[in-house]
Amino acid sequence: MKRLKLVPLVLLGAILLSACASSAGNVSSWPGLVADSTNAYLADGNNIFAVRLSDGAKVWQYPDKAGTPKFLATPVLTPDGLVIAGSAGNDHTLYELNPGAIDPNTKSPTVKWMFSNAQDKWIASPLIVGDTLYAPNNDGTLYVLKLATGELQWSLPISHSLWGTPASNGKLVFVTSLDHFLYAVDPQTQKVAWKVDLGGSVPGSPAVSADGSTLYIGGFTKMVSAINTADGSIRWTAATKDWVWDAPALDGDTVYAADISGNIYSLGAPNGKNAWPDVQPDGPITASPVVLANGTMVVVTESGLAYAFDRVGSKAWGVGTNIGGKIYTTPVVSGNLILVAPLGADSLLAALNSSGNVVWKFTGK
Amino acid sequence: MWDLLLINPFTNALLWIYNAIGHNYGVAIILFTILIRLITWPLNGQQLKGAKVMQDLQSDKEWLDIQKKYAKDKEKLAQEQMRIYKERGINPFASCLPTLIQFPIIIGLYQSITRALATTPLGLLQLARGIYPWFLNTSVLIPLNSRFLWMDLGRPEGIPFPGGFAVSFLPFGFPTLAIIVAITTYLQTKLTMPAPSTSNPNDQTAAMTGMMSVYMPLLLGYFALTFASGLAVYFVTSNVLGIVQYAMMGRVNWRNLLPGGKQPALPAGRKK
Repeated sequence: MKRLKLVPLVLLGAILLSACASSAGNVSSWPGLVADSTNAYLADGNNIFAVRLSDGAKVWQYPDKAGTPKFLATPVLTPDGLVIAGSAGNDHTLYELNPGAIDPNTKSPTVKWMFSNAQDKWIASPLIVGDTLYAPNNDGTLYVLKLATGELQWSLPISHSLWGTPASNGKLVFVTSLDHFLYAVDPQTQKVAWKVDLGGSVPGSPAVSADGSTLYIGGFTKMVSAINTADGSIRWTAATKDWVWDAPALDGDTVYAADISGNIYSLGAPNGKNAWPDVQPDGPITASPVVLANGTMVVVTESGLAYAFDRVGSKAWGVGTNIGGKIYTTPVVSGNLILVAPLGADSLLAALNSSGNVVWKFTGK
Repeated sequence: MWDLLLINPFTNALLWIYNAIGHNYGVAIILFTILIRLITWPLNGQQLKGAKVMQDLQSDKEWLDIQKKYAKDKEKLAQEQMRIYKERGINPFASCLPTLIQFPIIIGLYQSITRALATTPLGLLQLARGIYPWFLNTSVLIPLNSRFLWMDLGRPEGIPFPGGFAVSFLPFGFPTLAIIVAITTYLQTKLTMPAPSTSNPNDQTAAMTGMMSVYMPLLLGYFALTFASGLAVYFVTSNVLGIVQYAMMGRVNWRNLLPGGKQPALPAGRKK
């Protein structure tokens, strides 16, 4: 009998220890968002959701129940409408989902192919160039797959953890790493063509100029750098007040960047001169800014607000639009909608119009 | 508040050690665990002393007599127990208070180790915010070198099976560290728990020891199997240090390792 009384005590201890350990093992979400002209695709923790843009209704979710996959990486859309998403769970699997073939039992898209050879989680999204998929993994390797089948073509061990989506100028593939370097990979030789030490980790992606000659990149060294894609030489650097987490956004001759203290920079693409020395709306910013067709620049902050600025740095929407929760994910523009994915809010996804008003919210149901 | 008072100072201290010893996170975890054990040594000593007094009381004749005599009168039993405590100058909470004080420190140590591993973007952001910029250069420190011996401390440990052989429930290979964690946890539980007494067949301590020595190794072994191996290094270090500390205080019960090892019954009324 006394032994029976001890069982709850031991169980309580186990639960307490589990609670402590959970922070070590669980994957903290960081939603990934992409959209085409009809649907938004949101990777949020256990699921990927397809959400109809016209009314915010759920089209499907994958998987139908919570399982091993955990999704942090932004899904990638293929030219033929398939969805590629990498899991940050212990399965280390990259999935290609076919929304055109819904399983009648689960109401989820069927899996066209899976790639499970990586040694670690997928935090970065892959990049599609032609019929090839460049997929950087947290194990420090760039996996190059055949887009149609997911078959491994070649792989290149780079270094440490790769968290940023690669970029390409059509000749080279640019991969960032937490090891402080930016790598230019030549697909022809399957080797690193050049690399440049940026002095600090780069968790985000680079932005490539329209002509492919320059990369703009932030990082943990409190600066934005413009890098010559031909040889990795640095064209200019612009000091920032804090870390620049994700890729700058380009708008003609302007490079927009934001730091995790919430400062926004409008840098001249030719020289890096900052035209907005004192623009700091409210909270920390980890997401990339996005530029609307009319030139308005939108940023989201960790405080759960979205702000719009015109080209001279004045707020275009007056006070920011309160989405709620914490926003780390880069917004996505589709048609007239600006899609924002907060974390820990009453909704998983919110759609704003170009005036900053909320059109609909998606709660996951 | 928890972060401000405990996790952030601990994380900064851990990373300072990491930086000072040439960027080896495994050694930093071991040294930091030793440091915290040294700081909490006096508390541990008090706890052990208190626990020993209470354990001795369990086999005391007068104590056993009042348990029997007032088994059906809980109020009277409590009064008699208080009388004995007063007469002998025993504080029944003497073993609990140091444990309660140590508990947040141990949890803080544990959480700072996992925080510094920062294996996800949100984890890295949280880590960056907790580092004192005037104390450590974050840009240089991040990312941590998580390689230690054959392990990547940010990932579950496992030695690949030869010939690419795969076992579905062991996705990371042969779980060497998880086994070491389970064994050291078993040894620590067995060696540091009081020896079961033959004079009290209903000894709750003995029952607890028996259950803990089964469940704890399984639980911690499972954690080591599933979570980042940096935690497993902490478990092993902590277990070994626990045994060493108890041994230095002369409290290790080697007899517990022997099958059927029991503490001999004390003569009636004898006080230790």
